[in-house]
Amino acid sequence: MKVVIQTKKLSKCYGKGGEIKAVDELDLEVYEGETFGLLGPNGAGKTTTVRLLNCIIKPTSGTALVNGNDILKDETEVKRFTGLLAESPGLYEKLSAYEFLEFIGALYDVPSDVLKERIDDLLKLFSLDDRRNDLLEGYSRGMKQKVLIAAALVHDPPILFLDEPTSALDPRTALMVKDLIKKLADTAGKTIFICSHILPIVEELCDRIGIISQGKLIALGTVDEILAKTKTKSLEQAFIALTGGVEEKELLAWREHRAASA
Amino acid sequence: MITSGIRQIRRYFPYLVTVLLAIYVLFVAPAVAGLFIDDFLAFIISVAAVPVIQIILFMFFFYLVLFPISDTLREVKTGQIEIFLASPVKSSDVLLGEFLGRMPFYATAIVLITGTLTALLDPLGLDMVQSIVMIIVFVITFLSALWIGTVISAVLRTKLGKTVRGKDVGRALSVIIALPMIAIMYALIGGGLIKALIDPATSGNVRAILNFLPSSWGAEIFVAFASNPGNIGAVALETITRLGGLVVFFLAALWLGSKAANRAYSLESTTFTASKAKPDGLFYKAVRRLGGSGSFGTLLTTSFKDYGRRLENLSWLFYSVAIVAMITIFLSDPLSSPKDVLEDLSMMAIPFLTGFAVGTVSRGKDTLFVYKKSPNGLSRFVKARLMQNLLVTVPIAAAIMCTMTILAPQITASSLLANAVAGSLRAAVMVVLFLGLALLIPVFAEESRERAFGVVINLMIVLFATIGLEIGLARSGLSLGRIFPELDSYAAALLNHLEMTALILLAGVVLLYLGKRKLSRTE
Repeated sequence: MKVVIQTKKLSKCYGKGGEIKAVDELDLEVYEGETFGLLGPNGAGKTTTVRLLNCIIKPTSGTALVNGNDILKDETEVKRFTGLLAESPGLYEKLSAYEFLEFIGALYDVPSDVLKERIDDLLKLFSLDDRRNDLLEGYSRGMKQKVLIAAALVHDPPILFLDEPTSALDPRTALMVKDLIKKLADTAGKTIFICSHILPIVEELCDRIGIISQGKLIALGTVDEILAKTKTKSLEQAFIALTGGVEEKELLAWREHRAASA
Repeated sequence: MITSGIRQIRRYFPYLVTVLLAIYVLFVAPAVAGLFIDDFLAFIISVAAVPVIQIILFMFFFYLVLFPISDTLREVKTGQIEIFLASPVKSSDVLLGEFLGRMPFYATAIVLITGTLTALLDPLGLDMVQSIVMIIVFVITFLSALWIGTVISAVLRTKLGKTVRGKDVGRALSVIIALPMIAIMYALIGGGLIKALIDPATSGNVRAILNFLPSSWGAEIFVAFASNPGNIGAVALETITRLGGLVVFFLAALWLGSKAANRAYSLESTTFTASKAKPDGLFYKAVRRLGGSGSFGTLLTTSFKDYGRRLENLSWLFYSVAIVAMITIFLSDPLSSPKDVLEDLSMMAIPFLTGFAVGTVSRGKDTLFVYKKSPNGLSRFVKARLMQNLLVTVPIAAAIMCTMTILAPQITASSLLANAVAGSLRAAVMVVLFLGLALLIPVFAEESRERAFGVVINLMIVLFATIGLEIGLARSGLSLGRIFPELDSYAAALLNHLEMTALILLAGVVLLYLGKRKLSRTE
């Protein structure tokens, strides 16, 4: 299988002397057409990894190849081949959904005749057609998320990065997005790189999963492989076992202390 | 490190401020008042005294009403209202709490103003009772103003905070709300207002309105005491009625404010209508064509739409044009020639206009990342912002330059054309300079206050740098107008103007390059 994303000792450090390692010598391979999930607790380095792979920020050391293009040398090409739904995306709220998608299409040099048709299709797909001319400032969070997913798709990139794609969505829209991701992977042959906290979604959608903690990749494989490796029964248990999470008993310990002291 | 250092001594701040205020009231204000007490004595017995004191107190009153309103309008936040409404506290108590919570700042302002005004009266020989009455008058007047401002701001916050459009209107209003006061201040400094108020033929209606305002009642007591120092008996009736009126006014304002509190704290939605984008009209079609009809045309149009649909931006443009107009009308000497127009407008008006138009670089890093993610996005971002600002400012600068040149005597067709071209060029290079500066010292905040602060800092940098450069050129003999002494004064001024324009362009290009480089490294 062709490797479309390959990181080579990719690192990103912040602070004086680089003491904060957001991403620490990450070695990772993602294959063409697969849906890959990157899991990790808050501050693990997921969003930094996505930003590095989209050439939004530069690595401190190491590099990565995206569709054969080096993120340090072929920035423009990397950007053309990727679509990004950011975790905290910038939205031009004074534009309508149509205008925003037209703006994003223009940024990626999509020819105007193709762009119009594609925007129409995307707005229909996301059930936004009847509110296409409403300014985005009046949209709900879920609707804005739909527009942003559409924006990530508007230049039809072969590789799609989705950072927390369903976090702000109601169950119905989340289901629709989940189906759409499946469809994009299965029928359109797109490579999809998902970062999410919602484990069932990752479990259901992803062919392979990577678990990242404190910038380091600590597990990689299919869900079954990770469960076998950690000797756990669910991805949630495996996640806690690998990242050192707090168990329910510990979380509720304060109540027992209080009861005892009372 | 500086912040942590300040935090360590923060608990001593109230004592420090109290001591500083005491020093100001007891020593600084009397010393400053003593410097021009002779002029003040002559003034206080003149016919101008009552209207001028009325206007000054009205300005303080108006400013203190506007202060909480402007502060609230800048960022209309309604999140806390939900917490108040959920708690078992009456709305009127919340409003009073909000007012009292800001009291340390209000009290500081009141002490400063009252201290200054009392210091002016002290050398006249006012007795203890008169001094105490005067202090009571000032405190009641200013507290009334701040209370009215707090009530209005609470009501506006609720009304405007319900919709995005309302918040937008709030930000726009916060920019221009002070313009009437600035106009009065300029008119007062320029002297025209005083003359008009003294003249019975022109002052009738204004005096009648002023007499109706509570700030004027204090002004009348002020002048009455100044005219009868140490003799309160001579003005006892006037003092009792005016002071009584003020007390009644303050109590009435408190009562009405508490009644309005229920309206001020409400989350009942009034509208669900969404703002819609209209199909592109002639203007946007022209902009799109100007951008080359392709991708860049779309980016330029988008940049324009995002700018134009924010009322705050239009408000800043209006503000800068209004300030320029007021300076010209009230403060400038009559512009006697096209040369004066060119020099005066290039020095202040064009930097003012372009500085406020260019503003800050971006609303939040997230929107900047949209450009950073796309191929050559940053270059296109800078290019689109540059084009957009040129299209906004150059026509306005040319229009102001033409209008002022036409108003000046000695105008010729060639001087009109030359001024229009020179003014447009200066505006264009100023846009480059301000944009470069905005990229180099980026302000990514969404909050109006922080962005306005960034704009004013950039404006100050450019104003001081350009004025310094102009003086430097003139003193060093490097200004082209001096190198060619055979030229007439207008031609020399034009040459100097073009020389400065070229130097500003050079500085602008360097800043733009450095700014873009900095932006590309922003993470």
